[in-house]
Amino acid sequence: MASITIEAITKTFGAVPVLHDIDLSIGDGEFVVLVGPSGCGKSTLLRMIAGLEDITAGEIRIDDRRINEVAPKDRDIAMVFQSYALYPHMTVADNMSYSLKLRKTAREKIAEAVGAAAGKLGLDPLLARRPKALSGGQRQRVAMGRAIVRHPKAFLFDEPLSNLDARLREQMRAEIKRLHKSIGATSVYVTHDQIEAMTLADRIVAMHGGIIQQVGNPLDLYDRPANLFVAGFIGSPAMNFVEGHCRAGVIETTDGSKVAIPEGIHLTEGQAVTIGIRPEHVRIVAGSEAGSYTARVDLVEPTGFGTIVHVRLLGQDLKIYTLERGVAVVGQPLHIALDSTRLHLFDRETTNRIG
Amino acid sequence: MTSFSAAAPPNGDRRTPMQRLAARLEPWLYSAPVLILIVAIMLVPLALGVSYAFRDIKLLNPFSGGFVGLKHFRELASDSAFRGALINTLWWTFSSVILQFLFGLILALLLNQPFKGRALAQALCFLPWAVPSFLSGLDWAWMFNPVVGPIPHWLYALGIMSEPSNILSDPKTAMWGPIVANVWWGIPFFAITMLAALQAIPKDLYEAAEIDGAGPIERFRSITVPFLAPTMAISILLRTVWIANFADLIIVMTNGGPADRTQIVASYIFTQAFRRLDFGYASAIALVLLVLLLAYSMLIVVLRQTMLSRH
Ligand SMILES: Nc1ncnc2c1ncn2[C@@H]1O[C@H](COP(=O)(O)OP(=O)(O)OP(=O)(O)O)[C@@H](O)[C@H]1O
Ligand SMILES: [Mg+2]
Repeated sequence: MASITIEAITKTFGAVPVLHDIDLSIGDGEFVVLVGPSGCGKSTLLRMIAGLEDITAGEIRIDDRRINEVAPKDRDIAMVFQSYALYPHMTVADNMSYSLKLRKTAREKIAEAVGAAAGKLGLDPLLARRPKALSGGQRQRVAMGRAIVRHPKAFLFDEPLSNLDARLREQMRAEIKRLHKSIGATSVYVTHDQIEAMTLADRIVAMHGGIIQQVGNPLDLYDRPANLFVAGFIGSPAMNFVEGHCRAGVIETTDGSKVAIPEGIHLTEGQAVTIGIRPEHVRIVAGSEAGSYTARVDLVEPTGFGTIVHVRLLGQDLKIYTLERGVAVVGQPLHIALDSTRLHLFDRETTNRIG
Repeated sequence: MTSFSAAAPPNGDRRTPMQRLAARLEPWLYSAPVLILIVAIMLVPLALGVSYAFRDIKLLNPFSGGFVGLKHFRELASDSAFRGALINTLWWTFSSVILQFLFGLILALLLNQPFKGRALAQALCFLPWAVPSFLSGLDWAWMFNPVVGPIPHWLYALGIMSEPSNILSDPKTAMWGPIVANVWWGIPFFAITMLAALQAIPKDLYEAAEIDGAGPIERFRSITVPFLAPTMAISILLRTVWIANFADLIIVMTNGGPADRTQIVASYIFTQAFRRLDFGYASAIALVLLVLLLAYSMLIVVLRQTMLSRH
């Protein structure tokens, strides 16, 4: 187990810059999730930690040892690939013991380590099979097993669950979390699925365009997104954004409606802002009340547990997530209240959070 | 269609025997044109050629053509030139195939590395394949000729030869001339097939192995070789059969000489048929070669099957 320090890392492919000045320190035993849209450079950063891409500028340290020039095999890390990358010509047991064999580990020790890992992951009945004869979920487990037999200093995961169907992904997600709790090894996990990020992470690193947007624990990112990108990326259904300007002490939206400025926030007259409202924080109220709005229901999407209601409000297709059933009927008016404590305000020019 | 009728209820086939026969024949009638074509193009010439082996066919003798039974084969059994040709064939085939394969594999591995101008290098490396075999035979014959070619002088300068002479006229070394030409000419075939197979290997396997602690040699042994093995087997099989039959370079460069030292079975057939005009005897030799190559092919196919089923 170890800590990983990433300092001023930059990466360019030829002339194309992919990562800009990344700083991140990952504590001993911490589970850090790198999350962001496709192409933002998550995999590249992970592969630089693994030693599969060279580092254009900056430094990566594992336990205070600079590893920029260290070969992947000497970094003492294990990686789980999106495609699993199992050796097709070897049995499950051979796949798992390959790294130990190359390290000239004693035979009894190998058998013991493979047995323990197989037991943890429920692979015992599959040890003699080849990867071709396994289901996707079983392959995934073998890939995990291959990583844990070695007791590496850190685990690196590159979208390990994205080839699984939704149910299996949920199950494996819980299993990875349990595994991390029992092994406690430092882990860096790449995903573009924000639910995976929220559920697994001790700390989330949200990336966009090769730049770290925000680092924090999952609920911090949910409660206080640092900018428009994080606000829109974390949370499902996604946050509503309403554009407006500060006029005479209130925010006037594009359709002329007025939204009160939350307490403790100071805006300059005429400042362009974006209001963020999570669908689950829009309240449906019984009747017209002070500060409430009335809107016509556009679309109703029941998800089983709750319902997503689309209304036309503040010049916007506004989504509302409610747990009550039958409150919204398409074409009927709906009374809506916005809690000013639940509003997020962003400066439209810098896209950063205000307050 | 057949599976449908097979699945019909057991009590149910109410068709007349004529109708059933018609249903049976229907697919054959549809495929008849192609079947007739295949039989006419492939099987008839083969059968004719085989029949020549048991007949006395000499082009210069108008009264020949009668059935002679196994006479040609009895002659063959005591034909020392044929026995020499068999041994030469083994030598010619296996050294050509092994060298072509080794150099082809090395070339493919090199071309699989990313470097600047790789596309151009690939195109250039595949050029020999496009040269007509007769032209490359002539080319190499001249290169080995001390009067016009540089190779004897280089070998002399390196101290390998005591004087710049033509290796093609020395019975001890003559076979190496066509073999070298053949290797040069055949490397691209292996390089192309191996490169295609190499490019089909997922890159992340190598990365996983690198992290697992495998060095370049270990990665080659445990990933590249198992992935290439089926391709290697099938391409070596094809090339072996093909080269054993391939007399162009030998005919052009040495014509079987000196003293029959480069005579392979295929060139011996050519000599019998077109120099001595004894088509019957030539067909008998061809038949023996066919049987030998068939046996060899079966062996390799069985080997490949067992290898594939192990994976
Ligand atoms: N070998 C390469 N050469 C050139 N550009 C590359 C190379 N590898 C990645 N890139 C570029 O770097 C950027 C980041 O790639 P990366 O694979 O890190 O994205 P990612 O965040 O993992 O995306 P995804 O979620 O789709 O896997 C992309 O724009 C990609 O096109
Ligand atoms: Mg990726």
